[in-house]
Amino acid sequence: MISTEFLCLILIDGLLAAIASIGFAVISNPSRKAIAVSALLAAFGHGLRFALIKSGLEIWLATFVAASCIGLLSIWFARIIHCPAEVFSFPSLLPMIPGLFAYRTILGLIKFLQCTDATKAQGFMMDFFRNGLTTTFILFALVVGVSLPVLFFPKLSFSVTRKY
Amino acid sequence: MKENINPNEPNIQEIADLLTDIAAELMTAGAHTMRIIQNISRMAGKFGYFIELSVFQQSIMMTITHKEDSSNRITLIKKARSLVLNFTIVSDLSALSWDTFDKDLTFDEIKIRYHEVVTQKRMSRWLVLILVGCANAAFCALFKGDLYAIGLVFGATIVGFYLRQEMIKKHINHLIVFTTSAFVASLIAGLGYVFHLGSTPEVALASSVLYLIPGVPLINSILDIIEGHVLTGIARLVNATSLIVCIAIGLFSSMLILGLEKL
Repeated sequence: MISTEFLCLILIDGLLAAIASIGFAVISNPSRKAIAVSALLAAFGHGLRFALIKSGLEIWLATFVAASCIGLLSIWFARIIHCPAEVFSFPSLLPMIPGLFAYRTILGLIKFLQCTDATKAQGFMMDFFRNGLTTTFILFALVVGVSLPVLFFPKLSFSVTRKY
Repeated sequence: MKENINPNEPNIQEIADLLTDIAAELMTAGAHTMRIIQNISRMAGKFGYFIELSVFQQSIMMTITHKEDSSNRITLIKKARSLVLNFTIVSDLSALSWDTFDKDLTFDEIKIRYHEVVTQKRMSRWLVLILVGCANAAFCALFKGDLYAIGLVFGATIVGFYLRQEMIKKHINHLIVFTTSAFVASLIAGLGYVFHLGSTPEVALASSVLYLIPGVPLINSILDIIEGHVLTGIARLVNATSLIVCIAIGLFSSMLILGLEKL
């Protein structure tokens, strides 16, 4: 059963993701409506991923599911506000970028390069590969997940800015 | 080449010029290849022409041919400016291409609307600066950073992004821009290590450079590759990857300066 505490955590997670997505959206100068939608989608996507991870799914699988949902919803929203889907689906993915894993990858690499002790170096190499592969898989899950709906509904995705 | 019979109709050169301009503008604003080709073909179809379009990172190549008279054709190459993301332009030009198709806009109307779209003002850079700072701070909070870390990241992002805006204005090489902003931002965020602020200095350091991640080129490149525009996709991928490597180099350097044995 889902507790209120858990729901609250998901809500906070979604809210933070929304703020992050607004900030990353404005770099690419979209319209105001698109910014609002991207915040909404980011909150939904990141909250969903958080819930999936907590219920025991692997992080890249959860990311893939969340990204596909964002992709699908963004086509639907695109039809409502007449704006290409990628304008708000891209920024809403950004809060899911695996920053911490990427950082640990670099850290592992530097430590490996500086280490002279062979046994310790093996450990650092393991860190490097584990974090590096996780980073890569999450990135691919994000990109492929969000572009799948575009591939399945090409007609729909390219005609959203049509008003008649 | 045959002369146009109706003097009010635009001739093939004018149309080709406008279409390549629009394609180049879409490329600069960060649209993926499939969207560019669809938009341009749609507009060309309306004027009674069909086109073959090759889209590259730096240039657009287009052959435009009259539907009934295939001797009436020209080929143009147009240089695209380097990437300045602007999704308002992407969505407005897409809308313009559909309006051309549905509303029977004349050539001059299209030209006027195109100029309106490309000359409209961007959002104020100071507002963008503040919002990016908040975004990166929120990012840090998502990674379970404490209040010290969030504050540090906010400051680091503001300084780093300001630096980036200034350097882009001065047309410095974008790889150097990314390396320097990543270096400065991570150096500021790394102060948490030096002064032992809070319990999560690691998170501050890790999320301080994330505002630089080239998310749009990365996603565009994969979309291009999936849709079969492999060459453009790989060009974008190499571009995005080299930016990420630059971010890593910036982070790497400040970690070396801060002293790794503490990390």
